[in-house]
Amino acid sequence: MNKQIKNFLIHHGRQFGTLIGLFVLIVVLWIFSPFFLTFSNLLNVAQQTSINAIIAVGMTFVIISAGIDLSVGSIVALAGVVLASTLHRGVPLPFAIMMGLGVGFLCGLVNGILITQGRLPPFISTLGMMSVARGTALLFTQGRPISGFSADFRFLATGEILRIPMPVVMMIMIYIVAHFVLKSTKLGRYTYAIGGNEEAAILSGVNVKFYKTIVYGICGLFSGTAAVLLSARLNSAQPIAGMMYELDAIAAVVIGGSSLMGGEGTVIGTLIGAFIMGVLRNGLNLLGISSFIQQIIIGSVIIVAVLVDMALKKHQTS
Amino acid sequence: MRTFGHLCAFLFLIFIFMCGCQRGEQTAGKPTIALVVKTVNHPFFVDMQNGAEEAAKRLGVDVIVQGAEREVDVEKQMQIIENLIQRKVDAICIDPSGSKEIIPAILKADKAEIPVLIVDTRIDTSLLNESGGFVETFIGSDNEEGGRIAGNYILNQLGGRGKVAVLEGIPGHETSDARLRGFHSALDQAPGMEIVVSLTANWERDQGFTVFQNILQSHPEVQALFACNDLMALGAIEAVEAAGKTGEIIIVGFDALDDAKKAILKGTMHGSVAQHPSEMGRIAIESAYRLINGERIEKNIPVRIELMTRDNLDVAGIESP
Amino acid sequence: MIDKIMLQMFHIRQVFPGVIALDDVDFDLQRGEVHILLGENGAGKSTLIKILSGAYQKTSGLIKLEGVEIDIKNPRHAQTLGISTIYQEFNLVPHLNVYENIFLGREPVSIPGVTNRGEMIRKAEEILDDLGVAIDVHAPVRTLGVAQKQMVEVAKALSMDAKILIMDEPTSTLTDREIQDLFSMIRRLKKKGVSIIFISHRLEEAYDIGDRVTVLRDGRHIGTCDMDQIQKTDLIKMMVNRELKEQYPRIRMQAGEEILRVENVNKKGILKDITFSLHRGEILGITGLMGAGRTELARILFGVDQFDNGQFVFKGKMITIQSPRKAINLGIGFLTEDRKSQGLILKQSLQENICLPSIERFSRWGMMDVQKENLITERYIKELKIKTTGSRQKVKYLSGGNQQKVVMGKWLATQADIFIFDEPTRGIDVGSKVEIYQWMNRLTKNGSGLIMMSSEMPEILGMSDRILVMRHGHIAGEFLPDESAQETILQCALGVKNE
Repeated sequence: MNKQIKNFLIHHGRQFGTLIGLFVLIVVLWIFSPFFLTFSNLLNVAQQTSINAIIAVGMTFVIISAGIDLSVGSIVALAGVVLASTLHRGVPLPFAIMMGLGVGFLCGLVNGILITQGRLPPFISTLGMMSVARGTALLFTQGRPISGFSADFRFLATGEILRIPMPVVMMIMIYIVAHFVLKSTKLGRYTYAIGGNEEAAILSGVNVKFYKTIVYGICGLFSGTAAVLLSARLNSAQPIAGMMYELDAIAAVVIGGSSLMGGEGTVIGTLIGAFIMGVLRNGLNLLGISSFIQQIIIGSVIIVAVLVDMALKKHQTS
Repeated sequence: MRTFGHLCAFLFLIFIFMCGCQRGEQTAGKPTIALVVKTVNHPFFVDMQNGAEEAAKRLGVDVIVQGAEREVDVEKQMQIIENLIQRKVDAICIDPSGSKEIIPAILKADKAEIPVLIVDTRIDTSLLNESGGFVETFIGSDNEEGGRIAGNYILNQLGGRGKVAVLEGIPGHETSDARLRGFHSALDQAPGMEIVVSLTANWERDQGFTVFQNILQSHPEVQALFACNDLMALGAIEAVEAAGKTGEIIIVGFDALDDAKKAILKGTMHGSVAQHPSEMGRIAIESAYRLINGERIEKNIPVRIELMTRDNLDVAGIESP
Repeated sequence: MIDKIMLQMFHIRQVFPGVIALDDVDFDLQRGEVHILLGENGAGKSTLIKILSGAYQKTSGLIKLEGVEIDIKNPRHAQTLGISTIYQEFNLVPHLNVYENIFLGREPVSIPGVTNRGEMIRKAEEILDDLGVAIDVHAPVRTLGVAQKQMVEVAKALSMDAKILIMDEPTSTLTDREIQDLFSMIRRLKKKGVSIIFISHRLEEAYDIGDRVTVLRDGRHIGTCDMDQIQKTDLIKMMVNRELKEQYPRIRMQAGEEILRVENVNKKGILKDITFSLHRGEILGITGLMGAGRTELARILFGVDQFDNGQFVFKGKMITIQSPRKAINLGIGFLTEDRKSQGLILKQSLQENICLPSIERFSRWGMMDVQKENLITERYIKELKIKTTGSRQKVKYLSGGNQQKVVMGKWLATQADIFIFDEPTRGIDVGSKVEIYQWMNRLTKNGSGLIMMSSEMPEILGMSDRILVMRHGHIAGEFLPDESAQETILQCALGVKNE
């Protein structure tokens, strides 16, 4: 029995750690703000976290495969404006959404192809895509936001199912699917294998180029999904939307215990990471703490989380 | 696991420290007014914050000033407003990062019966009405008027004939658009005036430098520059200096930042349209206070706007510290 | 006599959470001797040297250096005491050149903050000359071969006035000739009074270079004796505590039908006219010096690398092998030489590693059948006698021999007809070695054809049914395994004419 607990800790220690961190954060905020631990505020936090959390799912795939994607924020903007202009041209809602998702997926695939066929480092190719997608979004809209959508579309952000806001419902569904994909499908297995040891994966018959491309495609697809939610939430698609979202997403993934070296990580960890950031922002707003201090605290939490993670890792190996 | 203890202790200390600061000011029964600015990383909004805090102190109310890390991040601003609604503040003053995009957040405040006051940047009223939203008032200076003032100044300086360059803010920003509209309307009076190039430098100083450097290359004949804010104008000045053309080009900015005033005194810049952000902050808090106390307030509260040049700078400098 | 004793360790005990790595171990080292440290993987050799090099702090015990009790605090401290360690993974900065590496962190300075390059170069050349090695001190380390990098490491140690040099399996990645160079350098060091602790798995080497030998087993000291007073079989007995009938238990059998024929494979500058065939039930040994093209040939056979021309006949049919996936689907398995960088995904579990190449068997429409995977993994853990806490344990926590067994398991699971083994037993202990050889027997008995690339002559002679010798990218000769052939094979590999 004792051994079982020990084994569990060894295998899940890192997630466990971040979960404790989140829990402590919640307790502290509960003590200091009477407004924090209310049902409506928790839903509010979940809803605010959902967009970053959804982008971070795709980022988790990329980071597990030992890559990085700096273009997610720009892809959110491009997918958003394409979706919006399609909607404004009177295209039926499902097709317009598919257009938005498709643009995201396509940008991701281009990233993947540049990395696998062009042999570019992921940092470089996605840095390029970051600029290209942003520029395309600005050009496409002449720099102006596209606003005003139908209630049907806005339902995606403002609607509720059993009092749970739609973005939260979608986030939960996406996490369930992503967890399943990573843990129980060939694609997931290959993602870990490629990140863990690309050479060994090639020599074990994994079509690394194909699957890597798919992984970036998935990341783009989730950016497209975030674009749909963001446009619905703001009732507007801005070409300047999503700036620096890549950093929030990477932070969530890293706080969640994924290693930037690849081969390790879980979407559950990422979800916890995204919530730590969301809860922190919300709590600091509730406490009325100055925005300057907020930035310091968020930065410190990222650093502390990774320090703790490294300490736990060391603890495991010895 | 020991390290975890350390993490917890660390977080805990930070919170106690900061809550200590906050608690000191909070007393039961005092109304709390929130001011949500676009970003806190800009002198304009720092002035606004100072004005608001002074007024709050005088009136004996609590004020919470928050802003996103990045000016363009409407979504973050929306999050802040949602969180302040949860915090059940008594009134929210908003300087919107997006005149259309912020409307869903206003609707949420309306639903929570928290009065909303708009500061500095107008929101899209037709869209607001369409969505059934309601705001108490608009407090701000007329950006279009400011643009017109700047246009008239350049027009007079050049004697009604000349080639002009423009540095725009982020496209689609109501502030930028209004200033441009005003500027264009002023220049339209004189057929001799020609805008030869109009590009965006995204409100930023370093972009103002590079963009204007490029303009000087492609349009060396430019005689005057209107920059939609001072940061871009200050960047452009450096480009002018680098090209060795200091003083040859008339440069007018917007916002009358301290650095801009210094440049005007030095003669590297000619004028800057001054809004009075600290006054906006002050009036916003005062109006919210009156609302909370059941008084009625005007639908539109103008804040004075004027052009600062060498001639009036000393006087103006005393007025707005 | 007292003067001759360099280092003494008494009752050394090292306890890790849940494991006693060393239990009451004594060890001593004399001035100018080469002391061989033998033991299976996990016997405690690494722990012992990590205590000496300051990487671990001993739990209890006493260490005396030249009669004075010392407490080794950290690796830096060990170096100042004159104890230097050369690990298998070198501690060199690839982009710096040789002399910069030798003096890294201890650069002689002329004015404070300014390194004295001339001084560094002069000293570096002096040390390398002393070692009898010809290496250009200006060459960036990344351009050097493994053997040369090792020499740089030795030079670095000597520049710190090392009295004791610990070498962890220094020969495992060297060719025979390079090993001879290394040994002549060690003999020079001995003459200068440097004591050497030498870890190796190869008994032949131990006899070649060692003065004394200490055998560890399961963290305990089994015995120490002079090298020339102990038989090889006795040493093995001490190491494994069981009689190994034979180190190479090959059961030879009648070769079956031809399963693969390679015809005229060429790759410019690397391979020239490679032609051979492989039969069912046969182990085809391929040997040669480093750089003779063995691994390159294996990679082409497995579809990893491209080649210029040539063809493959597999089970009587002409085939092309464009990718490893295709090779696996055809029934070819490839056990790479470097299990850590090419064979395994260390961060993943046994199960994920073992099932990776044969993933198609465990998945339908892209979804994994985890139960089936688990079943197969458990089966191979049992059959290969892998020491592990379970199929979910991460491979990085296994010992070298057990890791190699996982590599075996992953290719056994593909149920291939042809297995290419590239250095199958490099750096693993005698016990695991024999088990792997027994598996090779079993595979050939079941009708598979095996290609074994190896640079260990006893292994080639002991296990192969036929031997191909490669030199400069072509097949220089074919031999039958016969004790007397050893010399001719070596001559063939070296390109020495037989008169």
